[in-house]
Order: sequence, then C-alpha cells, then structure tokens
Amino acid sequence: MSSAESHSLSTSGRSWRDIRQEVTPLAMSRKGRSRRRLEWFKIGTLFTLLGAGGWGIYTLVHSWENDRAALATAVHSEPVRGIALITDGVLTKKWVAGVLDLPKTASLMSLDLEALRTRLLQNGQVWGAVVSRNFPDTLVVTLQERTPVARVQAGSGDGSSQQLMVARDGVVYDGVNYKQMVLPWLSGIRLVKAGHGFEPIAGMVDVANLLATAKHQTEWLYNTWLIVSLDRLEARDEIVVKARDIPEIIFTRKQDFSKQLAELDYVVDSVRVLPDPTLLSINLTLDGQVPIRMRNTPDELAKFPADNFSLQPSQQRKSKRDL
Amino acid sequence: MTSNSSRIIGAVEIGTGKVAVLVGEISRGRSLNIIGVGVAPSRGVMKGEVVDYKAACEATHHALEMAEKRAGARIEEVWLAQTGGHLDGFYNEASVNVKSADNTVTALDIASVCELAKEKELPAGRSRIHEIRRPFRLDGRAVPDAEHLSGHRLEVGYWIVHGHEGKVSDNIHVVGGYHLEVRELVLSSLANGSLLTTAEERQHGVLVVNLGKGITDYVLYRDGHVLVTGTLPVGGDHLTNDLSIGLRVTTAQAEMLKLRHGRATIQTRDKSEKVWLNGDASFGDKQFSKTAIETIAAARTQELLGVIKQKLGSAFAPEHCGAGVILTGGTSKLPGIDEVTANVFGLNARRGESPSWVKDELKDPMFSTVLGIFQFGLRGAHEHAVPPRRKTGFLSNLTKIFASS
Repeated sequence: MSSAESHSLSTSGRSWRDIRQEVTPLAMSRKGRSRRRLEWFKIGTLFTLLGAGGWGIYTLVHSWENDRAALATAVHSEPVRGIALITDGVLTKKWVAGVLDLPKTASLMSLDLEALRTRLLQNGQVWGAVVSRNFPDTLVVTLQERTPVARVQAGSGDGSSQQLMVARDGVVYDGVNYKQMVLPWLSGIRLVKAGHGFEPIAGMVDVANLLATAKHQTEWLYNTWLIVSLDRLEARDEIVVKARDIPEIIFTRKQDFSKQLAELDYVVDSVRVLPDPTLLSINLTLDGQVPIRMRNTPDELAKFPADNFSLQPSQQRKSKRDL
Repeated sequence: MTSNSSRIIGAVEIGTGKVAVLVGEISRGRSLNIIGVGVAPSRGVMKGEVVDYKAACEATHHALEMAEKRAGARIEEVWLAQTGGHLDGFYNEASVNVKSADNTVTALDIASVCELAKEKELPAGRSRIHEIRRPFRLDGRAVPDAEHLSGHRLEVGYWIVHGHEGKVSDNIHVVGGYHLEVRELVLSSLANGSLLTTAEERQHGVLVVNLGKGITDYVLYRDGHVLVTGTLPVGGDHLTNDLSIGLRVTTAQAEMLKLRHGRATIQTRDKSEKVWLNGDASFGDKQFSKTAIETIAAARTQELLGVIKQKLGSAFAPEHCGAGVILTGGTSKLPGIDEVTANVFGLNARRGESPSWVKDELKDPMFSTVLGIFQFGLRGAHEHAVPPRRKTGFLSNLTKIFASS
C-alpha cells in the first residue's frame, strides 16, 4: 500500500495518520458497540485461557516436584484388583504378588511402576521385567526369567548351607518353583557377597556352553556329571568335570567343546571293553591326543604304540568296537 | 478463518449518493479475491463531506454489515476512499548536490532530497493525505531510480495532497463507529485512475474524470506518473438542481427526468417534442420540452468539464495526453458526455471500463472507486513510493538469514 509514502508523512504538518481513530462508545452504532464488546470478550477469553493454562502448568510442575502422591490421587483410577503375569519361566502370579506387595487400597494410577520393576529385578531369577497398567484395574507384569545351568552350595553364617542356582551369565540366585532338576554342582569358585545376593561368577558362559553342548550331544555322559570345577579356568582355561564313574575329565575352553565331547565319548566307549574299565582321568586339552589314566592299565593296551591309537575316526583301521 | 498470510480488507467509499463496500481477501500482499459487496444509499453526506454523523454512520454501517454478511467474514481493516471539496494539492520540489567524492548518488542523497521536497509547511488545520513522488532528475535528466548513478545535482518533486483535518477525521470516525481501523486513505481520483488506466496509457498521458453525485474528481497522468489531482464540489446533483430550477419541478422529479431524458449534448432538433414527467397519465403528470431538458443538462455538463480544464491550467496539454480522457462515476452514464468531453478537451474521450479480472456484477461505474482502492493498494502505490533505505550491517543480515529460514 502507500505505506512507503504515507509513513514518511512527518516532516511538516500533520498526516491523516496522526488523527485519533478511536471513537467513544456513544458515537458508535449498535453494531459497532457489539463488535467492540466481542473484541474485548475475545481478548478477555484469550487472556483467561493463557492464565488458566499457565496456572495449570505451574500447578502440575509444583505437584510433580513436591507431591506426586497427590498428583496421582488427583487422577481418578480404580484400585488394583488383579495382576496379570506373562512369563517365559516358572515364576507364578503368587510369587509376583508377594514380591510387589501392593497395598490393598492402592489405585492403579498411584503405583510407581519403575519402583515395582526394580523390586522384581532384585531377584536374580528375573532377567527382564516390564510393568504396565491395563485400565481400569489390572497391573500387567511381563517377565523374562533366567534358566539355571548349574547349582552351587553356599554356606550361611549359622553353619547351614543352601543350594543356589547359577545362570548362564553367572548370576547366582535362589531358584523358585523349579521342579526336580538334576544339575551339576559347581566347585572351585568363591562366592562374593553383593547386596542381598552374590556377585556373578566369572567364566560361566564357557561352562554353560560346555554343559549345553554336552546335554545336547552326549546326554548319556552329561547325566553322569556330578561336579564341574572352575578351579583351573582362570589360570589354565581348563574346566574339570567329575563324573559318576570318572573322577576327572579335563576340558579346555580354547578348543571346540563338540570335538572334545566326541573324543570323550570315543574314549569311554573304547575303555568299556577292557577287563577293568575304571578310568581315573581323561585329559581332553591336548589337540589330537587324549592322555587317560586308569586304575589298572592292561598289558595289551600298554603295548600299543601311540601312533596307532588315533582319535580320528576316519584313520581308524578297525571299528572302535573291535579295538 | 484466514491464514496468517491473508487479510480481510474492506474497501469503503462514503459517497454523496451511495456508500459502497467491497470485502477483499488479500493473500501474500498481492493476490486479491473479492468475497463480499455491500451498497447502501448514502445519507448525511454532502459533496463528499459528512454533515450528519449519525445518518452517515447508519448508511455506512449498513453497507459494512451487508458486505460482511455476504463475505461470511469479519473485516479486519479498512482502506477508505477520500474525496471532497476541501481537498487540495500543490507541487513542491527540492534539489541537493550529490555528496560522495565520486559523484555517485547514495541512498542518503535520495532520502535527503525527498525529505526536503516534502518539507513545505501546510496551513493550520490541514492534514496530508498523499505525497506522490515524481521521477528523480539527475543533472536535468529524468531517472526512475537515481541510486548508484553518477551526477552532480539530484532533484525531485512531490505532488502533495492535503485536506481539512476535521473533515478527514469525520470520514475516519464514521468507520471507527463500526469499531474498525482505517489503515489506508486513498484519494478517490487515484483509486479510479489506478483501476481504469493501463501503465501504457499513463505513460502516454491520460486524464481520468470521476463524475460523482456531489463531487467530481480527476487525476492527470503524464510519463507514467501522477501530475495533478483535483476535486470540484460539483456533480450530477447540480444537473438535477439546474433541471429542478429550470423546469420548476421538485428535485426528485428533476432527477427522474435527468435519468430518463437527460443528455450531455442537444440531440433533439424538434423543439416541440415533449416528454411526460411520469408517463403513466396519472393525475398531475406534466409535459416538458425535451430540448429544454437536453439544453440544461448539456450546458451544465459543458460548464463542469470546462472548469476542470481551467483548473488543470498549464498542466494539461493535449499533446501530452495521448491516451485521451476517461470518464467514470454515475454521471458519466449521461448519454453524449463522451462527445462533449472530447470537444472540451480536444481529445478522445471514453467511458472507463473495468479490467477483465473484474466480475460482471462489479463493472458498474459505482464500484470503480472501491475496486480502484484495491488496485491502488496492491499496485499503484509502489510506482510512486520512495525506495526504502536498504539496511546493511551484521544485525540486519542476521535478521534476514533467520527470516528466510
């Protein structure tokens, strides 16, 4: 518009822009007055809304910082009437309810879900937990549980001892609701107290791999294993297993467990045909050779030259059963 | 609801005969969409001046309300047409020596010469309405923009239009009574000139005469710029008045005779040819000589056009007015007026026609001023505006970066 011109109307004399445009309500027409009222109403409404919004935000922030419980109760919700549990393990709804220990009158909105989740995670059997509200009155708990791979005996201060479970990641925990499980015991470890439990056992991943491979590939051998010792794991990378009929089977984590288990199976089978098949020790840590120690080494076996006793099935001249 | 980039603007003309309002939606400051029209018979206005505030308010507010209702939107601001016998104009010019050592004209030189040219004092009680810049002259040669050109002496002239402060306020307050702000005041003659002429016609020179009911205003363009504007407190009402006196009838009857039988030229040769006043053979119906009606109307029209020519004085020269004379306003509908105009000014004369973008229902001359307000606002002003001083420096550059992002 002519603003470029008219705005410069300032040098000499008044411009029409200097004329006061407002007129008194008396000089307005009915429509003009109603337009004016409407404008004031709009401005008033805008300020009221802004004020109300500002006050609301202030109150919310203030309540959040100072009184969250009041904030929670301000939000109307039903009391918790039930817990829904979704789990991939053996824990039950009863156990969850016991751990959470919710007040009977607690409403769903008043619950601090993060605190409840932390409470669940304090138990070693729980690997992951999600706690959520399912309106109107249900608390949903979703759990991922640890699976035990071994057992350990822990002594308490009063001289008694208790059986604890050890998971693949080394976490030691009280096993709850497990049915009768035959798991090998761990030895050669030192349980270090940490909070309410123990610090995770180092190197358990390798042990778990060995146990899982053994259970999967040579279950008949695995079922005879009583104790797994981690005594030499740190220093020599060796895992020593005490089986029901073999006092010492030495594995190394440097080599493939499948191969070591195949060698073990072969040796056990081979020895079984001997007159006194009592094995004292089998060492699977040497690649290609498996030194064994027997209670009574038969003369016939002592005569075999070492190179004729190949552990590679393809190089065997006879079947292992004929050996 | 409108977006941030569009505004609802009401173009308002408070005339002697009628109040016209157009509601336009202007998007991005350029594109105009006319969305509402309101027309009401004017009251309380004489010769373009408010003489009865209440009556003028009623008529204007009625037109505004009608236009808003038809548009289905609330007017946010008003661009108001200004006319009236109180308006006057004068030309003032100034010159400065170019200050820079290399004689290059700077923005500072331009600002200085413009300020000087507009500096002339107005008499007490007068308000400036428009300051219309003519082309710069640099060492005597006309240049549209002198910045960065080389020269020694920079001159510029302004056509300054001013009016009686009280009368201008009255017009503004009539709109204020509807709780609306007048954002722009546009001279009626400039509004009509913007609408009815092309840039080419303005370049060749053209005179636009708006013959209203109580006021006649005009604008003369030369070399693409406004040379002179003016108003005469004479219009169609005076023809009616002359007929009323000459034929001894009431003003309403005279108005009826003017509309039915009035002509700006004497066409009827048979002096005995009569016309009936009402034509319905009712009681009191009278006969009048058609020649008498034409003679009175033609004499008054010729006189009116002659006064305009006289007021233009030396500014008007037929050789500098190649595009002729354009007539608009209600009285321009008088048959034969273009012929008389051509005779008076010695130029081609024609009735103004709205541009093609104007809808048929708005092509009546009664809307040419309000349409012209939009046209002037969107286009015309930029042709005359003083180029704004360019801002430089770190802060303004920073502002530009953020504004463009």
